Amino acid sequence: MPKAQRIAFVCPRFAEGGTVGGAETLLKNLADRAAAAGRQVDFLTTCAQSHFTWENTLPPGRRRIGNLEVHYFPVDSRDASSFLRVQQAICQRGNFTPPDEELWIRNSVNSTPLCEHLRQHGDDYDRIVMGPYLFGLVYFAAQIHPNKTLLVPCLHDEPFAWLSIMHNLFGGVDGFLFNTEPEQDLARRLFQVPAEKCAVVGMGLEPFEADPRAFVARHKLNSPYVMYAGRREPLKGTPLLCDYVDAFRQRTGRDVKIVFTGSGQIDAPPDLQPHILDLGFVSEQEKREAMAGAAVFIHPSVNESLGIVLLESWLAKTPALVHTRSEVLRWQCAQSNAGLWFANYPEFEEELRLLLEEAPLRNAMGAAGREYVQRIYSWPSVEKRLFEALDKT
Amino acid sequence: MKESSVMEIGAAGLDARKIVADIQATVRKKIEEGAYADARIARAERTNLVNLKTDDQFLSFYLKCLRDSVFVDISDFEIRERRPVLAPLLVKLKKCIWGLLKFYTYRLWSQQNQVNGLIVTAIEGLDEKYSARIKELQDRLDKLEKKTSSS
Repeated sequence: MPKAQRIAFVCPRFAEGGTVGGAETLLKNLADRAAAAGRQVDFLTTCAQSHFTWENTLPPGRRRIGNLEVHYFPVDSRDASSFLRVQQAICQRGNFTPPDEELWIRNSVNSTPLCEHLRQHGDDYDRIVMGPYLFGLVYFAAQIHPNKTLLVPCLHDEPFAWLSIMHNLFGGVDGFLFNTEPEQDLARRLFQVPAEKCAVVGMGLEPFEADPRAFVARHKLNSPYVMYAGRREPLKGTPLLCDYVDAFRQRTGRDVKIVFTGSGQIDAPPDLQPHILDLGFVSEQEKREAMAGAAVFIHPSVNESLGIVLLESWLAKTPALVHTRSEVLRWQCAQSNAGLWFANYPEFEEELRLLLEEAPLRNAMGAAGREYVQRIYSWPSVEKRLFEALDKT
Repeated sequence: MKESSVMEIGAAGLDARKIVADIQATVRKKIEEGAYADARIARAERTNLVNLKTDDQFLSFYLKCLRDSVFVDISDFEIRERRPVLAPLLVKLKKCIWGLLKFYTYRLWSQQNQVNGLIVTAIEGLDEKYSARIKELQDRLDKLEKKTSSS
C-alpha cells in the first residue's frame, strides 16, 4: 500500500463546466489521477465560480464528482477596497509595508470553514496538496498542517512572488510539486528552497488526433490563421497579440486571420476586428481541430508556469510563438524545438513570416512538439513523478 | 532571414535556439538599416514596453519608432464615398463640412504635433543624458574594481 493513501487537494475553485483556469485544471487532474490509482481523495474548494467576483454561487456541502469527493466551502466576506488598494501598490512595485502585505493576504480569497475543516480532519489525511500560491486560502491553509502539505505553487516571476510574506509559505511546507524546471529554479532562487523538497511533476495530456482541414472547412476559412486559446486579458498578453497581428497584416500585406477560443473581451484595433474569429468557449474537439488547422499557435503571456494550451497545440502538431519574457514557455520551446520566441515586434514579424512561408519547417516543428509532449507529459510519466512525490517521506 | 539558413537547420535537425539566434541577428541588422522605423510598430509595441522596460536596446529602438509616428498627418486628403446611392451629394456635403472645420482642426493638430515633437525630444534627451551618465558611472566602477583587485 502506498504511504499517502488518504489525500486532500485544496484549490480556490474546482475546475468544472465554465470554471476554467490552468491551476484549477492542473489540481483537478492530479486529484483525479490519484483517485483513479485507488487513493482516497477529497477535493476541498470554495463555492465561488467567478475569479472576478468570488461570489458564493454554488451551494456548500459535499458532492461526488467522478472519482472525487468534492467539499464546497463558502468564501469569507472581505474588504475588497483594501485588497485592491494594496494589490495596486504591489503590481506597480510602489510603496507598501509588511503590514500592508498582511492586509492584502487577509483580504484575498479566504475560507474560514475550509480551514476549520482542515484543522478538524487534518489527521484523516496523509498528504494535503494545495495551490496556487497567491491566494489567502492557500497561504493560511498551508500553515495548518505544514508537515504534510505539498504546495503546487504555479509560480512565475511576478510582483506577488517577491512579497516578504511568501517566505512564510514557501519556507513552511513539506514539499513542492512544480510544473517545470524553470519554475523550480525560480522558487529556489527566491526562497532558497532545498532541492530535496522539490519535485517537477507537471500535468499529463491525453494524446489526440485532430483533422486540420475540418475546422477550416467548417468555418470556410480561405486564409492562413494564427490561434490563441485561453483567457483574454492584458495579463495574458492578448492586447499585444492583437497589436502585433494587426501590424503584421499592415506591414507585410498578408491576409492572416486570428482565431480565439476562451473567455474575456478582445481588445483589438478596429482594422483587425473583421479578421478575428472569436469562438468563445468551444468543445475540446472544436478547440483541437482549430489548433490543428492553425499555421501557428501564439502564446504571448509572460506569466505562465506550465502553458497547457501550448502543449495541446503541439499535440495538434502546430508550432508555437511565445514571448521571450516567459521563462517557462521559452524553455519548453527550446526543449522541444517546437516553438520560437520573440522579444519585440521585429522578431515576431520575422518568425511569423518564416513559419508561414516554410511549410516543411512548420511541419517538422509541429511533429517535434507532439513527440515532446508524448514523451514528457504523458500521464504514465506524470503519474510516476506525482506518486513518488506524494509517497516521499 | 536567409531562406537557405533555415532550410539547412531544418535538414540537419531542428534547433530552435539557432533559428531564433539567426532571426535576432537579422533583426539587429535590419534595425540598423531602418527597416523597422515605422509608426505602426510604435503602436504595436505600446503593450510590450512593460515587458522590456529594463532592456536598453529595446527602448532606443522604441524611441526611433516613436520619432516616426509622432507627427499626425494634417494635410488635405481625398474625400470619397463608398455608398453608391447619393455618392456625389455626400461627397459635396463632406467637402463642405471639412472646409468649415479645416481651419480649427488644423490649428488644433498642429499644436498637438508641436507638443508630441517636444515630448519625444525631451524623452530622447533624457535617455541620452542618463545613458551617458550610467556609462560614466560604469566606467568609474570598473576602474575602481580594477584598482582594488590589483592592490
